[in-house]
Amino acid sequence: MTATTSTLTDRYVDLTLRRLPAKQRPDIERELRASIADAIDDRTDAGSDPAEAEHAVLTELGDPARLAADYADRPLHLIGPSLYLDYVRLIVAILVTVVPATAAATGFIRILQGGAAGPVIGDTIGTALTTTVHIVFWTTLLFAVIERTSSLRAGPARQWTPDALPQPPSRRARHGAVIAEIVTVVLFTTLVLLSPVVSTQTDATGDPIGILSPWLWQTGVVYGFLGLAIAALGVTVAKSYVRWSVPVAVTAVLLSIATTTLLIWIAASDRLLNPAFVDAAGWPSEVAYWTNAGLIIAAVLAVVHAVVESAAGFAARSWVTPSWKPMIHTIVEKIPARAPRR
Amino acid sequence: MLACLLILKQPNYGYALLDQLDQSGFAVDANTLYPLLRRLEKQGLLTSDWNTEESRPRKFYRTSDQGLTLADALRRDWEELHAAFHALKEES
Repeated sequence: MTATTSTLTDRYVDLTLRRLPAKQRPDIERELRASIADAIDDRTDAGSDPAEAEHAVLTELGDPARLAADYADRPLHLIGPSLYLDYVRLIVAILVTVVPATAAATGFIRILQGGAAGPVIGDTIGTALTTTVHIVFWTTLLFAVIERTSSLRAGPARQWTPDALPQPPSRRARHGAVIAEIVTVVLFTTLVLLSPVVSTQTDATGDPIGILSPWLWQTGVVYGFLGLAIAALGVTVAKSYVRWSVPVAVTAVLLSIATTTLLIWIAASDRLLNPAFVDAAGWPSEVAYWTNAGLIIAAVLAVVHAVVESAAGFAARSWVTPSWKPMIHTIVEKIPARAPRR
Repeated sequence: MLACLLILKQPNYGYALLDQLDQSGFAVDANTLYPLLRRLEKQGLLTSDWNTEESRPRKFYRTSDQGLTLADALRRDWEELHAAFHALKEES
């Protein structure tokens, strides 16, 4: 073997080994060199020029990066077919919820700050673009890591069953409801968190007076409440992806009861509205009373709805939305003597 | 892969195996075969030994007991498929 021919093989083997785990290298090197040498010998025995033979053999072996990936069992794609569907679904779900919400929040804050139309629109579009890039990048990175981590990938794949088929009302409608809830919660959370700094009323020194009671922040109750709301949202999202199961159903109803109970407690102890704000806005004192009363009634209705929904869910062992009309009819028919109370 | 498991009942090394497969009518590329042998070895379907007696050290592979069991199962599947195709051809 001449010096020049050995360099070509050396360079090929070096490049292949560089992309392999260190502990595999010596063994693969020996085998690869022997195999290449055998193939070259075969060709020179058949009358080829040694240099040409080596060139042909290495050409046949192909790109060292590809060979190394084959040896290391490394995927040559970013996200493979087993993860692709989940990847697309997740990215679409996050994009259609978070991007409009952040864009709307940015636009809203800019308007409150009294920005002109041009900068407001520019900032809104800028936020939407930045958010989109971030979401796509981080989700892709996460899935690429999962694709390359065998312990994460080897987990029991969620088997598709016909139970996952959309039920009437169609999946699209249910997705619509989920997306509406996500947007509501995100906007609501943003508004609540911004309420101490963004307000229509200012005090003597020009600082904003929040509409919500400062007590909520001092005690941290507001964070507990928002945490519960976001957890409840998580359960709602989970409900559209997983089959009905006792733990998820119980979690859903407990979260719903906890959130509404907390709200009822806050409203009943008159700790919701900031008295300073009510004074500054010149609202009559009844406003606070009726706000609290209205919230309590709404919370009670929400709890009743959640309990009935989960009871119906337990009966049907699936995620059902109770239809109130036939249910009330049934109640009315069963108890003809008593008028139904709402 | 089945062909590899069947041929390697007789121990053999990479390059010679390539030749042997080619002669038996299985056209396999070298860059497919060498990593495949490693994978089968890692899965315990092949065992290997370095033979350093000759001028060039060579890694000899041989089908393990586990590999033989798998090869039998795969061959049965293949024959069933073959029989099914055959039956289909007869019918038409």
